[in-house]
Amino acid sequence: MIEPVANSVNYQLARKLLDASVMRQEAISANIANAETPGYRRLDVSADFSRALKAQFASGSRPAPGALESLRPRLAEDPSVRAVRPDGNSVEIETELMEMSRNRVDHEFLTDLVSRHIKQLKMAISGHAS
Amino acid sequence: MDLLTGIEATNGALGAQRTRLDVIAQNIANARTTRGPDGKAYQRRVVNFESELLRTQGAAGRAAGGGLSTVRVAGVGIDPTPGQRVNDAGHPDADAQGMVTLPNVNLAFEMVDLITASRAYEANLSVAKNARQMALKTLEIGK
Repeated sequence: MIEPVANSVNYQLARKLLDASVMRQEAISANIANAETPGYRRLDVSADFSRALKAQFASGSRPAPGALESLRPRLAEDPSVRAVRPDGNSVEIETELMEMSRNRVDHEFLTDLVSRHIKQLKMAISGHAS
Repeated sequence: MDLLTGIEATNGALGAQRTRLDVIAQNIANARTTRGPDGKAYQRRVVNFESELLRTQGAAGRAAGGGLSTVRVAGVGIDPTPGQRVNDAGHPDADAQGMVTLPNVNLAFEMVDLITASRAYEANLSVAKNARQMALKTLEIGK
């Protein structure tokens, strides 16, 4: 009975992105912790994830329910940044802090979205709001 | 699954930066110590950091270098640079030629290091705060 909510593309997408944002927070904390470790390369959620996600929506149609289940975000070294420091470390602390606040807003938005789906379901069950 | 994501990495870094601050404090305190327990002038101490792998994400993650790592203090070394020698025959630690060896501590270096260490500490602290806010927000799902 609750399948329409749990299987809706928006809900599944929000859950996947929530996983990714939690993972990104992990990466940022490791990056800032290692901001002075020589040779350390910054981590981020691997670009495969966003590429696969874009491919799902590229055709203009919504992906079939369940198609998003196979997507798994994972951490990888960020190949796009160059180490500008002589010790080979590619972390810039300002960028990391900016990324962190951006990620936090993303996370808040996604938790609200998931909450709203659950609230709708609750409303449908009980018949009254809140 | 950890509710406060990435907190182990931040925790390691906070500890490492604290040790660094302690060592800088020791260097500044001993900036004029001409006789230590070994009878020689104080030599500046340097903290070495090393990163420690917390976990990887299976074989695919290892191949991509996607292991999560924290930082820890590898050891406290001694800066071998010889200290400045000044002529001060009246000094109790002066040698036969009236020369005194001063510690190789440069206060300007230490102050710059101090600022870097405390800024790094603050950055890690803000990560910890952010992780906490995210965890609280996650707990509000469905409310």
